[in-house]
Amino acid sequence: MKKKKICMVGDFSVGKTSLTQTFVNNVFSDKYLTTIGVKIDTAIIGDTKLIVWDVAGRDSLSPINSSYLVGAAGIVLVGDGTRENTIDDLSIIWDTVKNRIGEVPVVVALNKADLYDWSVSDQSYTFFSEQGWDVFSTSAKDGRNVEEMFQALVEKITN
Amino acid sequence: MEERRLQQQINEQLFKKLQLAYFCVDKSMRVTCFSKNLRNYGYDSVLVGAEIEEHVDFMIGLDAQTELDLPMVESPSGTPVAVSLLPSSGELTVLISDASGHAEQRQLLQQKANENELLLEQQHKLMGQLSLASKELESKNQQLEEASRLQTSFISGVSHEFRTPLTSIIGYTNLVKEDLLLVSESEPEVKASAQQNSEHLRAVQRSSKHLLSLVENLLDHGKLDSNEIFIRPKSTDLAELFDDVALLLKPLSDSKNIEFKLDIELTNSFMAVMDDSRLRQCLINLVGNAIKFTDQGSVTLTARLADESLTISVADTGLGISPENLKKIRLPFWQAADTGKAGTGLGLTITERIIELMGGDLDISSELGKGTCVSFEVPAPMLLETPIGECSTVSGSKVLLAEDDADIADLVAMMMSEAGVDVTHVENGALAIEALRDQPFDLVLMDINMPVMTGYEALEKLQESKNKTPVVILSASSIEADRAKAESLGCFDYLVKPVDIGDIFQIMNRVVDQESL
Ligand SMILES: Nc1nc2c(ncn2[C@@H]2O[C@H](COP(=O)(O)OP(=O)(O)O)[C@@H](O)[C@H]2O)c(=O)[nH]1
Ligand SMILES: [Mg+2]
Repeated sequence: MKKKKICMVGDFSVGKTSLTQTFVNNVFSDKYLTTIGVKIDTAIIGDTKLIVWDVAGRDSLSPINSSYLVGAAGIVLVGDGTRENTIDDLSIIWDTVKNRIGEVPVVVALNKADLYDWSVSDQSYTFFSEQGWDVFSTSAKDGRNVEEMFQALVEKITN
Repeated sequence: MEERRLQQQINEQLFKKLQLAYFCVDKSMRVTCFSKNLRNYGYDSVLVGAEIEEHVDFMIGLDAQTELDLPMVESPSGTPVAVSLLPSSGELTVLISDASGHAEQRQLLQQKANENELLLEQQHKLMGQLSLASKELESKNQQLEEASRLQTSFISGVSHEFRTPLTSIIGYTNLVKEDLLLVSESEPEVKASAQQNSEHLRAVQRSSKHLLSLVENLLDHGKLDSNEIFIRPKSTDLAELFDDVALLLKPLSDSKNIEFKLDIELTNSFMAVMDDSRLRQCLINLVGNAIKFTDQGSVTLTARLADESLTISVADTGLGISPENLKKIRLPFWQAADTGKAGTGLGLTITERIIELMGGDLDISSELGKGTCVSFEVPAPMLLETPIGECSTVSGSKVLLAEDDADIADLVAMMMSEAGVDVTHVENGALAIEALRDQPFDLVLMDINMPVMTGYEALEKLQESKNKTPVVILSASSIEADRAKAESLGCFDYLVKPVDIGDIFQIMNRVVDQESL
């Protein structure tokens, strides 16, 4: 079985851990627990074993440690659809990724789509489509688009 | 060979001491050696010769040439570990150490910091929403204020339109009545018809005055809404004021066959500094109301002036007010809708507000079927100097009157001529400026709304040409903004129509006083 490493990156508290847990273990918790360093989970999509690195977010204390990205075959850029700044930050995060491991396949997860105060600007959507990224409005809470998003990334990686 | 074994032994002891685990892979990523304590961290299937990717997840995607530090990775045992990849001569050594102590500290710190930042973000967002909401409110408020301003200016416009002709109706009926009094000293049949005519005239006058007071109530109500009612105290003859009120309302009580009693005690001094027209308005309203709601018995107006304070009460033996209606009675428009009596239902609201502005409180007590008593007490500072004799100094002075309404102009001119004032009449501001250029005047009486050149424009022109002749504005508008505008343009005083000729004389005396300083 092929094994592929992918990394969940994005600002803190956007739902990287939650998306991973929803996808891998089908569990969701409302409680916020900061991820320190990295948690590694595995899931199987088709004939690919996906190794999901849930990386600590970019936050007030530290940037993303790009060492964790080495060896990744694809990237999930995660933003919080209710916090505009986390979406604006995605382009900075993408630069970090690119500098370390080059242009790998990317999908964008705009998470927390179950919440009502959605604040993603048209500019952001334009930017994503200019980059050629697939964008998914996901919810770790109700599960919408989570599998689809991972599926899309795997397809990009394997093609 | 011996040396190498020794080195390995030393290494192993060192690693044990530091709780380090390790494994090595060759360039094809197959395991060449590993430490036994690797399984403490849950990597328990590692075998020499096995592909490392099959057994250690974090090695997936990595190669044997890259040096790398992964400071904190959750191991399969759950313990966070620090991982170091050290390539050397085609082989890769991977060191794994316990990082749980460090991770715990870091977790606490990071959790706090992140939660804090989330709170800040949330606060920021809420503040944004708040300021948006308050902006919305502000603009709504502005719209409302604008609407209320438009309403006020509409009401004042309409009342102006009414007030001007009413003023001349009232003034002329007065003159005709005086003529009739003279006639009544002649032949008996003329006298009889004159008497009848004078009755008719009195009816015309009563109706006009009533109409005027309705218009004024409407205007005042508009001003209540925009906080535009002001109290302007001046020397007031209280005895005369009460006489006036009695004279005005006596016919009303007579027509209903009820007794109108006056109980006035003003001590020796009865000149007080009060807004006489506002006080008069309140009294007429309260007494008028009492008469309106009393069908038999009496209405008593009691006034006491003592210690610079005026106490008034109006008691009637009328219908009385039920306790629940007593609560509603102060609401604007209330009575008009509910009692079927004539009026706008604004009188009491306005009266109450005016009394408040004069520094008093309107108190209403009532018993159904027995009658009602309203009372209030307002400050009434005594006038120290004796008032100046009305016509003493005005006689012989030259006054320029700028007024486009011929009826009002004739009326004012007639009354002033009687007092010996030399009046020149012009129809607009431009003609007034011209007249002032040609000859000196002691005083200018100026209307605001005139064709060709308005009173405002004329004031401006006079200011420019440094003409110091005092200008008194006779305006149909009692809107505060209009007064303020005229004052900013340097008018000497501002009177609202219908103008009391006595007020004009008082102002003329003030002008003379100032000039003689
Ligand atoms: N309503 C809602 N809350 C979510 C969703 N995903 C994550 N959260 C919550 O957001 C917070 C941060 O999630 P987490 O996965 O720890 O974010 P990470 O820092 O990016 O790993 C937690 O309180 C989660 O319960 C979602 O899709 N909908
Ligand atoms: Mg996390």
